[in-house]
Amino acid sequence: MTTVSDAVPVDMHGALPAPRERFWYPYLLIAPSMITLTVVSLIPFIYTVYLSLHAAKFGRVTEFIGVDNYIQLLTDGRFWNSIGIALVFVGIAVPIEFMLGLAGALVLNQQIRGRSILIPLLFMPTMMAPIVVGLLWKIMLAGSWGFISYNVLERFHLIGQTSVFASPDLALYALIFVDIWQWTPFMMLAFFAGLQALPLGPYRAAAVDGANGVQIFFNITLPMLTPLLVVIGLLRFIDAFKVFDTVFVLTGGGPGIATETPSILANKMTFEFWNIGEASALAVLVWIAFFAFCNIFYQVAKKRLNAF
Amino acid sequence: MSDVSNTKGTTGGLIWTGTVVAYAAVVLFPIFWMALMMFMPNDAMFARPTVWTFTPTLAHFEYVIEQGFYWNLVTSFLLCLVSTALVVVIGTPAAYAFARFEMKLKDDLFLFILATRMAPPVCLVIPFYFIFAKVGLLDTFAGLTLAYMTFNLSFYVWVLRSFCRDLPVELEEAAALEGWSRAQIFRRVVFPLLRNGIVATAVLCFIFAWNEFLFAFMLGGETVQTLPVSIPKLITSQGVRWGEMAVVGITALLPVLTAVFILQRHIVRGLTLGAVKG
Repeated sequence: MTTVSDAVPVDMHGALPAPRERFWYPYLLIAPSMITLTVVSLIPFIYTVYLSLHAAKFGRVTEFIGVDNYIQLLTDGRFWNSIGIALVFVGIAVPIEFMLGLAGALVLNQQIRGRSILIPLLFMPTMMAPIVVGLLWKIMLAGSWGFISYNVLERFHLIGQTSVFASPDLALYALIFVDIWQWTPFMMLAFFAGLQALPLGPYRAAAVDGANGVQIFFNITLPMLTPLLVVIGLLRFIDAFKVFDTVFVLTGGGPGIATETPSILANKMTFEFWNIGEASALAVLVWIAFFAFCNIFYQVAKKRLNAF
Repeated sequence: MSDVSNTKGTTGGLIWTGTVVAYAAVVLFPIFWMALMMFMPNDAMFARPTVWTFTPTLAHFEYVIEQGFYWNLVTSFLLCLVSTALVVVIGTPAAYAFARFEMKLKDDLFLFILATRMAPPVCLVIPFYFIFAKVGLLDTFAGLTLAYMTFNLSFYVWVLRSFCRDLPVELEEAAALEGWSRAQIFRRVVFPLLRNGIVATAVLCFIFAWNEFLFAFMLGGETVQTLPVSIPKLITSQGVRWGEMAVVGITALLPVLTAVFILQRHIVRGLTLGAVKG
């Protein structure tokens, strides 16, 4: 664990002075990547916009209908339900992951032995396939025989012999719990990397002044760590909105529409109802929201962390 | 390692180590339980109260092998290998160019790459499905390889650029003064220094492809069926085959476990898209 990006001034990475190459040389180097990304990203986006402006039910694109699909979507209670669910999901999961991650990072930053073994192990929930995460919790929280269902939830009379994922009131919170399990390690280890990169000088000064642990945390650690906390929090916030795989395996958006996030709804609209026009309209709106998010992330990371 | 620690002496260190180990044990318990389930006979699996001792069985493994799940394993492995190799070949020059040269619209192009990485997969799967259906790429190896480029090529270029920026530019300047060509400089100076970064980023790409579900499920599924996609197949009309699911789940986990030990501190840099240098 070494440095945070701002350790090296950006100017050192400027253009090479070597004058002999032709001006198109860098464009030649990026061309294969940019062409591929255009094919796999820009063209699909434009095609989605095209679909969203056409009547396209059951996979057959018929006539141009302007913004009708958007109007239909925005007056659809199910769309707003999905937005609400995403907001609850992100609004609860991300702050908890953030706090647990920060606390865990501070613990990891103590004199821990065997870090090189513990850290990769701790990373497992984040690195494993989300579909396997879903499977894991389907097993642990299965109705009646699931390990946690039986040993924890039933024992404390939280639920009967059913799975939490079948309960309209609890399913969303169970999914939030799974997300916290999956992503807290990411927050913890990212914050830990940040802590390791902090300069020692201020801590020595504080030790000379006889500051206590709490003072040191709030007056030195937290201010120095803030840019990193903001950037990582933002990144996680953006990612949490995309949640699909775990929800797909665990509840499929149900019971009813109790856990139907925008991703699940878009998928259902496309591959269950074959309402392609409206699904595309939803995809376009989500896409635009993500462009905005992405731009904010880029600007903040660039300015505050001096990264990129 | 700049340890900023309030703990003095080994006793405190042991307490903190114990805390972390206990935390890891609790958090990783579900994985351990799933590993046990691979050998659990069904009656032990569904027992209430939970039983800890049972006669191990290999029945779940037998079923999984009978059903030809190794084909899913081979498919997954080949798909990840081919798509990652393509990403490395196509993406390395771009990452280097973005780190070293001034270009018109560089910031915009770069943001386009980030936007591609961050786009929700479900938004991409809709147009992909209909475009692929038209051009006959649905349920083909080539189609999935192409679809995986969206998240992996953008990721690779973005993160490898941050590794490129870490290289001291002076070496390249010195080589340029010696009259080396750009290609020579890249091959003899840049590449040897960048090798670790390339390997780390490529391993992450491999894992992302290995873990991918939505594209593989919607754009593949029959002829090209990856390991994650085969898991829902175990929900049969005779009920859910939990033990078999555990076998497939743990199999899917093994490459990831290997990778996290290889990658170590590079994981943080990768997952934060280079914002934090682990």
